[in-house]
Amino acid sequence: MKSVHIFVIFIVIAGLQLFVPVKMILGKEDILNTGKLYKFRTRPIDPNDPFRGKYIALNYDLDEFKTTDSTWKRGEKVLVYFLNDSNGYAKVHAISREEQYSDLDYITAKVNWYNKRNEMLHFDLDFDRYYMDEYKAKTAEEFYIKNNQRNDSINTTYALVAVKDGEAVLKDVLINEESIKEFVDNMIKE
Amino acid sequence: MKSILNDLSELVERNVITNNTADIIKQYYQQKQEHQPNRLLTVFGVLGSALVGLGIILILAHNWDNFSKGLKTMFAFLPLVIGQAIAGYSILKSKNQSWKESSGTFIFFAFGACMAIVSQIYNIPGDLGNYLLTWTLLGLPLIYVLNSNTIAVLSIVFATYYACVVGYSFGDGSNPPWWYLVLLIGTIPYYVKQFKADASGNISTVLNWLYAISLAIVLATFIDNNWPLVFMMYAMLFGIFYNLGKTKPYEALQLRRNSFSIIGSLGIVVLLMILTFNVVWKEIFREQILVLSQEWYISMLLFIIALLLLFNSIRHKKNNKFNLFQFAFLIFAFIFVIGGTLEGLGVVLSNILIVALGLFALKIGADSMRFSVLNFGLLIISTVIICRFFDTNMSFVLRGILFVLVGIGFFIANYLMLKRQKCLTNQS
Repeated sequence: MKSVHIFVIFIVIAGLQLFVPVKMILGKEDILNTGKLYKFRTRPIDPNDPFRGKYIALNYDLDEFKTTDSTWKRGEKVLVYFLNDSNGYAKVHAISREEQYSDLDYITAKVNWYNKRNEMLHFDLDFDRYYMDEYKAKTAEEFYIKNNQRNDSINTTYALVAVKDGEAVLKDVLINEESIKEFVDNMIKE
Repeated sequence: MKSILNDLSELVERNVITNNTADIIKQYYQQKQEHQPNRLLTVFGVLGSALVGLGIILILAHNWDNFSKGLKTMFAFLPLVIGQAIAGYSILKSKNQSWKESSGTFIFFAFGACMAIVSQIYNIPGDLGNYLLTWTLLGLPLIYVLNSNTIAVLSIVFATYYACVVGYSFGDGSNPPWWYLVLLIGTIPYYVKQFKADASGNISTVLNWLYAISLAIVLATFIDNNWPLVFMMYAMLFGIFYNLGKTKPYEALQLRRNSFSIIGSLGIVVLLMILTFNVVWKEIFREQILVLSQEWYISMLLFIIALLLLFNSIRHKKNNKFNLFQFAFLIFAFIFVIGGTLEGLGVVLSNILIVALGLFALKIGADSMRFSVLNFGLLIISTVIICRFFDTNMSFVLRGILFVLVGIGFFIANYLMLKRQKCLTNQS
């Protein structure tokens, strides 16, 4: 094959390699810019990814819903419809397999397990990673655990999440209305 | 090449070859060298690119909180675009292989780094399996465009990594990594090309070993919930390996380059060794083996491939000598089916087959004067004897005597072969 032909094929591959991350960026930017913002109560912990570095793993309070339907299977896709409660935090309104309410926002989650005893369906929200500077991630977690055990002074940790058409992008994590990044920065300075 | 040139002058001086022949030989080697890229340069280029690429991933994994989103995005794309520009230039200007290998390796890692940093910026949920799949899937075509050995190796390694992440994620509902097969098949045309060009070349050997090891690691990820059939699946895979290793192009290779023969024979022996224990059969009996399950279909498919390879090998070889290792998978299948119906029979038959394989390896080793194969046979037999110590009530004296006998056996067999070898060299 001539060099020019190989070069053309190479350009197509190189274009695809650039297209994949660009498409990731555009999709997420669209949700951030035009999606609606919700607050999800959460607790942070600090794990590791071999390629993407340190992140805060988030355990959401919103992870179950009472239902008599016991046919849900582990790993199945579940649409979680939610509203804001009186304090302004997201709470589950309904769950379903197909789209149901056109006026409500929903997130696509994965079924974890169904508890037959109390008829609770447990699910996992997939925006559970918040990447942070490798030195700050551990500090944030340690601070959270220490203070929460002592006097529960941190009671307003929440994730700010942009939602559009079933997809969600984690925008920020806030501790006492302050971004976790600034919060840890201030803490290190003190 | 220098030593050849030195030898040439000596050969001309002693009138072994004429001046003319010496010139032709010199010319041949000079031309050959011009066409061959500098190997050392390629190795260092690839190593350098891999280290820089991995370094970039690690630096970016720090998660620079103080950089703006735009700056982070720019850093994500910069290494990738630079790598692509260099690779594009190497293709257009038909640069030598060192350029292509180095730039290809760099692109491979830069693409991984680019996706990683975009995931960081947008807190994209962490599915390591999907990330590795996209990475490998879009890195793999570079093998063909850049004719790159390194990317072929990286693609197989990363495909295996992906399969392990997806298939062995215990507790989190592991799935069979079907895409692994697509990735592996994607590398095969390149392997075939390299193998046809130079079957005993270094890259063919490296790929031989990688394929065999990778498949042996990944096969178990295709188990759903019918685990006893894992023995059947592996026995059939090793049957394929061994019979593939006995086909004409592979048999002509040195043993160390024929990974399929080595892993095939070693694998079936280890598998049978496990099945010589009664406790394993008891566990198998407890489970109900489902026919027409995923594991059953895979076993059948592998069985048919192994059988075709066996027929092919028998048909094409004249004066074909019987080789028990080639039939081991067939006998294994029989033992597994029979052993599954009658308790105790499986253990006895497994023991008989493994001892027979040991004796057969001894015979092959003695016939071909290969110490490695001879000792492999001795090792099989002695391991079976040692293993039986654990599930039989033999007296310590008897066990001790058996150990001594096995040890003496090792000495005698090796001594006799050494003597025979010396005798043969003296005769010739």
